Amino acid sequence: MSSRRSRQSSSSASRITDDQIIQLISKLQQLLPGTRIQRSNKASASKVLQETCNYVRSLHREVDDLSDRLSQLLSTIDADSPEASIIRSLIM
Amino acid sequence: MKSIIIVKLDDVIDCSTVDVLFLIIDLNLQESKMHDSSQLKKEFIKKWVQGLQICCSSKRQMSILERKRNIKLSADIALASAKNATTSWSKALISEAKKDREKNILVDNLLGHESKFMGAHQKVTSHNRIRSKKILRRSCGIGKRIKKMGYRRSDSPTCIAKRLVKKRTQVLKRLVPGGESMDEFSIITEALDYILSLRVQVDVMKNIVNATNLLN
Repeated sequence: MSSRRSRQSSSSASRITDDQIIQLISKLQQLLPGTRIQRSNKASASKVLQETCNYVRSLHREVDDLSDRLSQLLSTIDADSPEASIIRSLIM
Repeated sequence: MKSIIIVKLDDVIDCSTVDVLFLIIDLNLQESKMHDSSQLKKEFIKKWVQGLQICCSSKRQMSILERKRNIKLSADIALASAKNATTSWSKALISEAKKDREKNILVDNLLGHESKFMGAHQKVTSHNRIRSKKILRRSCGIGKRIKKMGYRRSDSPTCIAKRLVKKRTQVLKRLVPGGESMDEFSIITEALDYILSLRVQVDVMKNIVNATNLLN
């Protein structure tokens, strides 16, 4: 199927998918943190993609950081407190 | 939210772990603004807690680094498996984890019976897809190069914009699991879902870290 698509003229293929891509880019834009005024979609598509990459990287970093904190907290839990036994029986 | 945790956990010291689990799920769901993500949150919490019990409950002393690695791995696998093989990134995440020799056994334990079905299937299809795309690119690239040499419009703003979009898309492909073998349309749809899922993961982990912190 992909080979058939590549044999079509590149302009008609891109015309079909351009609108869908524009829609997707605007959906991405809505997800990103920090409200942005709606600009012309074609011009800011690369900006939206760049912000998306930055956002994914920051989410990855957050997960890593939270895993760090959780592992430190779990290792320093006082063995005898009743609260600790809740946490321990729940997630350890 | 913090005060709610303290009051409620005081009441449940005698309760079973299942009750506390549902309590945490409840607290998480109250905060979720989007209804679509609440189902994913439930699944993720359930699977992550199960995963943590599997990989963090060893009697021997774990180093902080090892525990962190287990926590992160079980969170990622739980998130991917909560998608139930409906998205490419989730399947790719699991199959990539299975390829890693260190993680392989742990992933099998975390996934249980699902693991054999998911891992093998993905390896074959992505390999063939990449191979056929390479052959395609090689055969089409030569023709395109000859065409381009005739009329270069590389300085037009549309072309520059398209090149930038292409560049950014390549970066995004490396960030989303399994993104390398996706076309432009799929990488954006997958990235949309991936971001929503990552948010769920971060939200839940934040709540658990806060709750654990308060009890310390």
